[in-house]
Amino acid sequence: MSEHGIDSQLDRALDAALEQALRPPGLPQRFRAELGAARRRLEHLDVAQVRARLQIEHHEQLATLQADFVRIRRTTLGTLLGAAFAAGAGAVIAMPWLRSHFGPLAPVLIAWGGVALGVLLGVAALRGRLGTQTR
Amino acid sequence: MNTALGRPETSDAEVLGLLRRGAREQAFARVLEDYEQKVFRLCCALLGERTQAEDAAQESLLRVWHALERYDGRAGLSSWIYAITRNRCLSALARRRTFDSLDAPEWGEHSREPAADEVLLDSSDGRVQQLRDLVELLPERQRQVLRLYYFEDRSVSEVALMLGCPEGTVKAGLFRARAALATLLERRGLADPSYWQEMTS
Repeated sequence: MSEHGIDSQLDRALDAALEQALRPPGLPQRFRAELGAARRRLEHLDVAQVRARLQIEHHEQLATLQADFVRIRRTTLGTLLGAAFAAGAGAVIAMPWLRSHFGPLAPVLIAWGGVALGVLLGVAALRGRLGTQTR
Repeated sequence: MNTALGRPETSDAEVLGLLRRGAREQAFARVLEDYEQKVFRLCCALLGERTQAEDAAQESLLRVWHALERYDGRAGLSSWIYAITRNRCLSALARRRTFDSLDAPEWGEHSREPAADEVLLDSSDGRVQQLRDLVELLPERQRQVLRLYYFEDRSVSEVALMLGCPEGTVKAGLFRARAALATLLERRGLADPSYWQEMTS
C-alpha cells in the first residue's frame, strides 16, 4: 500500500476495521424450514410448468445479453464516427496554421499525427481490455 | 464440520456414493450441512442485500436439489454448487439493473444500492457504518471481492473457489479495492490510523 501513500499502520488499522465492519452474515433460523417448504411446493409442480418457467428465464437472459451486445456495438460505432468527424474537423481547422509554419510538410505532419493518435488509442483500448479480462 | 480454511470436509465421493445408492435426500442434507452458510455468504457478497441474498440462496439450493441426481462428480462439488449460486446471483443482478434503468429517468435516482446494514450486522458505532458506506462506493467487483474476503476469514483460496476465478485475480481485486478505499479515506480526511484503531479497540 506504500505506493498509494498509505503507511502500513493505516493499512493494518483499516484491515482490522474492515474485519469488524464486514462480519459474515448468518442465515436466519427460518431459512431451512422455508427451503423445505419451497421444495415441497416445487415437487407438486408439473414438470412442464418448471420447464416453461426456466425457458422464459433463459430467454430473458438471452435478451439481456443481446441488448448489452447491441448497446456496446452502437457505442463503439458512435465513438468511431465521432472521432473520425472530430479528426477531420481538427485537420481542416489546423491546416492553415500548419501550412504557414511547416509549408508543404503540413499534410505529412497531419498524417503522422493521425497515425500517432491511432496507435495511442489502440494501446489504451488494448490495456483497458486486458485490465477487464484480468478482473 | 469445517476446516480452518472454512472448506467443508465432505468429500465429493461421499455425496456421490449417497446419490448412487439413491439416497438423494441424505445427499442433499449433507450438502446443506456443508454449504448452506457458504452459499448464503456468497449471495450476500455478490448481491449486497440481505433479503435478496436469502431469496437467491434459497433458489440456488433448490436448483442444486433438482440437479443433484444428475451430478456425476466430474466437477468438484463445491465448484458446481458455487457456479449454480453465481449464475443465480448474476440473474438477480441483471434484473436489478433492468429495474434500476427503468426507474432512473422517472425518479432521478443515481443508484438503488441498499444500505450496508441491510446485509451486515447492526452496529451503533458510526465508524462501522461510515466504513460500510465507503465500501458501497467501490466498483461492484471490488466490493464483492472485499466482502467475501472478510466473510471467508481472509482466505484468498476460498474466495477464488467461490468466485470461480484464479487466486491472482482475487489478490489483484483486493489490492485495487484497498487502494481505492485508501484514496476515499484520504479525500475525506479519514486516513488517520488512530481513528480506525479506536473503532476496533
